Amino acid sequence: MTIHANTWLLRRKWILVAVGLPVLVALWWAFRPEKLWINEKVNEAAPFDTSAGPQPILIGRFEGNAQQTSGRATIFKKPGGEEYLHLSAFSTANGPDTHVLLAQSGDPNLAPIDCGPLKSSEGDQNYDFPSATALNKYQTVIIYGERSHTVFGLAKLEPF
Amino acid sequence: MFRTIQMGFALAMLVSFMGFEHASAREQAQALETGTFHGKVHMTSGRATVYKEAGGRLVLRLTNFKTSNGPDVHVVLIAAKDAADDANFLKSSTARLELGPLKGNEGDQNYNIPSGTDLQKFQTVSIYCERFNANFGAAPLEKF
Repeated sequence: MTIHANTWLLRRKWILVAVGLPVLVALWWAFRPEKLWINEKVNEAAPFDTSAGPQPILIGRFEGNAQQTSGRATIFKKPGGEEYLHLSAFSTANGPDTHVLLAQSGDPNLAPIDCGPLKSSEGDQNYDFPSATALNKYQTVIIYGERSHTVFGLAKLEPF
Repeated sequence: MFRTIQMGFALAMLVSFMGFEHASAREQAQALETGTFHGKVHMTSGRATVYKEAGGRLVLRLTNFKTSNGPDVHVVLIAAKDAADDANFLKSSTARLELGPLKGNEGDQNYNIPSGTDLQKFQTVSIYCERFNANFGAAPLEKF
């Protein structure tokens, strides 16, 4: 009796292993659970020459505040190290005494850098700012109505 | 006999030199399109930019990129303006273009785009899990 039970258990073990192991392997293959905590980091350089022309370093999209504003703000770095602000596909409302500010936050009163009066309410345009500007802090572009003290729109920049 | 070997050597040197030249002469490139990644089910962030090299070759470059690691994850271009979380491309008949398996779930990386690809049609980059037919994240491209 005991011998019979033992052999049956032995056989069942074999069945368990024969069925269970492939199932486990298949589940591991399908879900690869170890990837939940293993990161694969890569750091490829650009495959092309980045020293020839201006390269984008910061970029952000405009959102409207007091006025409908859209488009993109990008800060480019020239091969010589000089930086400038470029607005593209840009559109905002027409207004008197509108300026382009580089600020540390969305608040235009916290010591912003004035890049000059807005050249046009539509289209691509470039602005210079002092070369000593700490771009790690000044990462918000504000379209600011000086006369009405209103933020027309702003773009929060992030690394390109 | 000696002549042949000598010629062979010279040829080999010439070829290797030319190969080296080719590798070191990197072309200039122009950014054509760019977009930011979004993804909620699998947090995906970073930027996708399509560059055109002076020679005409198209390159997709991911920067500040991060997504979750997973099995059989690929980079694909899809013929749509954008792709929602968990958008299923197999059931819908959206055309997609395989750019290769994801090289890493974190960091900057480049992918070749086949020449002749219609970027007007393929407007979104997707990080696509082939095995579970799931969209980890997508970046709609817009003119740079």
